[in-house]
Amino acid sequence: MEENKKQKSQALVEITDFGPLKITGNFTVKDLKRDKEDSAGEIWLCRCGRSENKPYCDGSHKK
Amino acid sequence: MERDDKKFSGGRKYRNDEITVYWKPSSCVHASYCYRELVEVFDPGRRPWIDMTGSTTDNIIDIVNLCPTDALSWKWNNDEKNAEISEDQLNHVKFRRPELMDTNEAAPQETPVSVKIMVDGPIVIKGNLTLSNNGTLKEVQESIISICRCGASDHQPHCDGQHRKIGFIG
Ligand code: SF4
Ligand code: FES
Ligand code: FES
Repeated sequence: MEENKKQKSQALVEITDFGPLKITGNFTVKDLKRDKEDSAGEIWLCRCGRSENKPYCDGSHKK
Repeated sequence: MERDDKKFSGGRKYRNDEITVYWKPSSCVHASYCYRELVEVFDPGRRPWIDMTGSTTDNIIDIVNLCPTDALSWKWNNDEKNAEISEDQLNHVKFRRPELMDTNEAAPQETPVSVKIMVDGPIVIKGNLTLSNNGTLKEVQESIISICRCGASDHQPHCDGQHRKIGFIG
């Protein structure tokens, strides 16, 4: 084809200080520890290490 | 849907998942059918003036077919559908601008971003994505980023290996 080969962004990965990692868009998640796959269009992943529902954020970061 | 405002020989093209609309400004006689009928899509006061997300594909085709010149023409992104286009699709490129029939508008590869939760370690993300760090946006193409999950990294948000030292389990 023509012109630029730039690929379209497929997902938005959002980081906020002291909060979870939010991912929206076209993505797949592989949880190697729990051997699970997920392909939801929107997830919040724990970044603080304290969630009781890893890998997801359960709000524990606020405590 | 994707908005595309790429230059191509003799004008611009705009695409959504199903069709591509070609704009050839030199032919426009400003009869203005297009923006009277569907201002959500064709709005000369806006840049880009054609917004392919402004309406349904069927509506866009109907309006493009009203253009009295070859300023606006369209075709399916799927070439099989272009081959069997019927004559009442007045402004299909087959009738208006046959030279555009061979251009291939098939969708670019849209590979999903891969997110991996490592065992007792970080989140590893790979692909074409937009990274927002407290609101600051950055495009990341074909690279790998590793985000701390244990909370102990000294280089937040990135993993710096601390998870091993603290014996992170999760
Ligand atoms: S309908 Fe065609 S000629 Fe008329 S304003 Fe739109 S593009 Fe120009
Ligand atoms: S970031 Fe919300 S629980 Fe860890
Ligand atoms: S996960 Fe590697 S430093 Fe936190």
